[in-house]
Amino acid sequence: MKKTQYLGLAIAGIAAVAYPHIFRLPFPHHLMIMVFIYATLGLAWNLIGGYAGQVSLGHAVYFGLGAYTSTLLLMKWGINPWLGLCAGVVVSCLVALLVGYPCFKLGGHYFAIATIAVGEMVQQSWLNWDWAGSAIGLNLPILEEGLKNFEFHSSKLPYYYLGLVMVGIALLASYAVDRSKIGYYFRAIKGDQDAARSLGISHTRYKAYAMVLSAALTSIAGTFYAQYVLFIDPDSVFPMMLSINMCLIATLGGLGTIWGPLIGAMILIPISEFTRIQMGGGGTGIDIMVYGLLIIIICLYQPRGIIGMFKLFRK
Amino acid sequence: MALLELHNVSKSFVGLMANQDISLSIDPGEIVGLIGPNGAGKTTLFNCIAGFYPPTGGRIVFDDEDITGLPPERICFKGIARTFQIVRTFKDMTTLENVMVGAFCRTHSAARARKKAEEILKFAGLTEMRDQVSAGLTLAGKKRLEIAKALATDPKLIMLDEAMAGLNLSETRQAVELVKKIRDKGLTVLLVEHVMEVVMPISDRVVVLDYGVKIAEDTPANIVKNEKVIRAYLGEGAYAKSQ
Amino acid sequence: MYTAEILAQTLASGLLMGCIYALIAVGLCMIWGLMEIVNFAHGDMMMHSMFMAFWLWSLFGIDPLIAMPLIMVILFVTGVLVYFIIIKRVLKAPMLAQILSTFGLGIFLRYLAQFLWTPDSRMVQEPWLDGRIDIAGVFIGVPQLAASGVAIIAFILLYFFVNRTELGGALLAVSEDREAASLMGINSDKMFALGWGIGAACLGVSGAMMANFYPITPEVGLLFGLIAYVAVALGGFGSIVGAFVGGVTIGLVEALSGVLVAPAFKYVFVFGVYLAVVFIRPQGLWGRY
Repeated sequence: MKKTQYLGLAIAGIAAVAYPHIFRLPFPHHLMIMVFIYATLGLAWNLIGGYAGQVSLGHAVYFGLGAYTSTLLLMKWGINPWLGLCAGVVVSCLVALLVGYPCFKLGGHYFAIATIAVGEMVQQSWLNWDWAGSAIGLNLPILEEGLKNFEFHSSKLPYYYLGLVMVGIALLASYAVDRSKIGYYFRAIKGDQDAARSLGISHTRYKAYAMVLSAALTSIAGTFYAQYVLFIDPDSVFPMMLSINMCLIATLGGLGTIWGPLIGAMILIPISEFTRIQMGGGGTGIDIMVYGLLIIIICLYQPRGIIGMFKLFRK
Repeated sequence: MALLELHNVSKSFVGLMANQDISLSIDPGEIVGLIGPNGAGKTTLFNCIAGFYPPTGGRIVFDDEDITGLPPERICFKGIARTFQIVRTFKDMTTLENVMVGAFCRTHSAARARKKAEEILKFAGLTEMRDQVSAGLTLAGKKRLEIAKALATDPKLIMLDEAMAGLNLSETRQAVELVKKIRDKGLTVLLVEHVMEVVMPISDRVVVLDYGVKIAEDTPANIVKNEKVIRAYLGEGAYAKSQ
Repeated sequence: MYTAEILAQTLASGLLMGCIYALIAVGLCMIWGLMEIVNFAHGDMMMHSMFMAFWLWSLFGIDPLIAMPLIMVILFVTGVLVYFIIIKRVLKAPMLAQILSTFGLGIFLRYLAQFLWTPDSRMVQEPWLDGRIDIAGVFIGVPQLAASGVAIIAFILLYFFVNRTELGGALLAVSEDREAASLMGINSDKMFALGWGIGAACLGVSGAMMANFYPITPEVGLLFGLIAYVAVALGGFGSIVGAFVGGVTIGLVEALSGVLVAPAFKYVFVFGVYLAVVFIRPQGLWGRY
């Protein structure tokens, strides 16, 4: 990387670490924590959607599975949330393979449809599953504060830094994918699947890799969310809205780029939060309406999103 | 000892017999041309060998191994590379990146893939366009990139599907030079072509298909005198008139 | 205890709903067959036609049955517009852009409806088509019967149009081989627009007819869209007959699993059908894949 890029990275890093000490109220902390969660989700979606070009329209299912797996393990058997996090990753990866595998050999639209269907199905079924809290949801037990229990009550600061680490991991994963064989293969599959196959790429295997990686990251964000908010229900962790957001964040920021989803989250989440406050939380949906339009416009004119616009600008 | 052998390969699509009982063998180091009028089944045969669909009958043996019905990615591993008639570059990736995708076939390391790709670019005369997004290349450049990608997979046999189509005279000449260079490197070449001025001079042998059947196989010099071939291309009437 | 009565009742309602699903699926199939694009806004477009029917009734007292032809025309025009404004520009783009653009349209339509009309449920009260009739001990709602009747008629008309008229033949030609069709002088651009118009018109018809008996919310589109995808996959992407049969089948599956298993899980079965198709026979029963 060039010197200017290192410098930029260093400044961003320092700013990120210093932020919660400059803005000391809980709300700015909460805002950034939400940004981190959504950025992780966007980065995760970007791996399968932006790089491999396989459109998943029901990705929230892995968020919910991560959140519920760790929470249920904690509530029913007292298993430590960090272990629960790993368990959530395993569950999500298995489901991702189950959903994806039959569809990988077929066209991309089969896959897209399957993801919507699974998302809806899981949400609907979960609403009726009493053991898992059904529509009422689950309240996480309030435990002694500390890293071991993955709960902090006196301040949001630890959540902030953990969230920062989480985004860091997601960014690192994206970077590693981008520079390595797997990333080139993802882009080849997205660009022209048949040409990719004739160059020795097993498209089903690599789509599976993308799904697993993406589901794992999403699941981690899910567990983090559960431990942060300390309450989950199907409406907060499985909804279509979340899937749409993941897709939007990645698309707006720049599909197939490393920093795109982070930038997308940094723009969209504050806007969401502020419009929600302005409109008194009425949920009129005007912001989502605009998002839908944005997705269309991006697809038509600037598929590389904000990063794409930025690069054009520099020329 | 033949590198590629086709034994009675047939391919039919719902009711249409695209390839019928085709047998041929290609020795290492040869350049074999595959010609025939439109619809003769040349691309179908190509696709069967390359694994895009399995033949409905017969066997394909490569390097003493039965590869019939294997998927394209495995065929590539075995050492057969192909180009596509309608150029299929990875549009959003640069020329170098395109070739790197091919190079990754034999290595996991990005550094090694990059090095190999640079070598191939040099070999194919594409070094200047290295950082250009492949969608912006000229047709000749794209066709050369097609070949470069295929070469990067380190094949023993390279199959070129109409690699000269749409090129002007000087571009065609450059492409022919590239094919010769490829053979000089030790590869075997099977090429499908419509442009006779290209196929005849460079092929060691020519195979002619018509209506899905192999009608002739001989040196270029003899093929042009072969009455079945003339009839296939010019039609019965023209042939009769020439007698 | 599942008596023959309950079973017959279930089959009847499943069949009727199935015909409506079928028409929706046929619309989707037309678009796919022509240009291999799945309209992820399909359900939401239908939702808007339901709302149109509702508002025409609520504000002007026009019965949905009368409004139907008007709504059909409006949706036809909408379909053509969607083609020219959005779809045409992503025809050559990677599949990612194609899927996301109709998906974005769907979201836009869904939340536009929510913004304009709130998430509250609306229903047309006392339409002309109202009440139930008794056929051999089975109670069938008049609006449902009429809706499925209209759906069947619409399908038959469409089938004849595609297979027996010159314009329809042109559509078929373009869907089978775009290049060959253009060599014959057929303008694929216009055919694509026509396909979108017809696909959307199907939604206009089904939406208006459903407004007679179905509660209308901005969210209904999602479900109907999903069912349409499964129906088309089952019947085979590319065959409108297949799509129709697929739709009816899904109607039956939904109704039967709702009664025999549990209403909460009926969509699990519908999705199960989809998975079965994908695993066992991806080209569906009739399709070209």
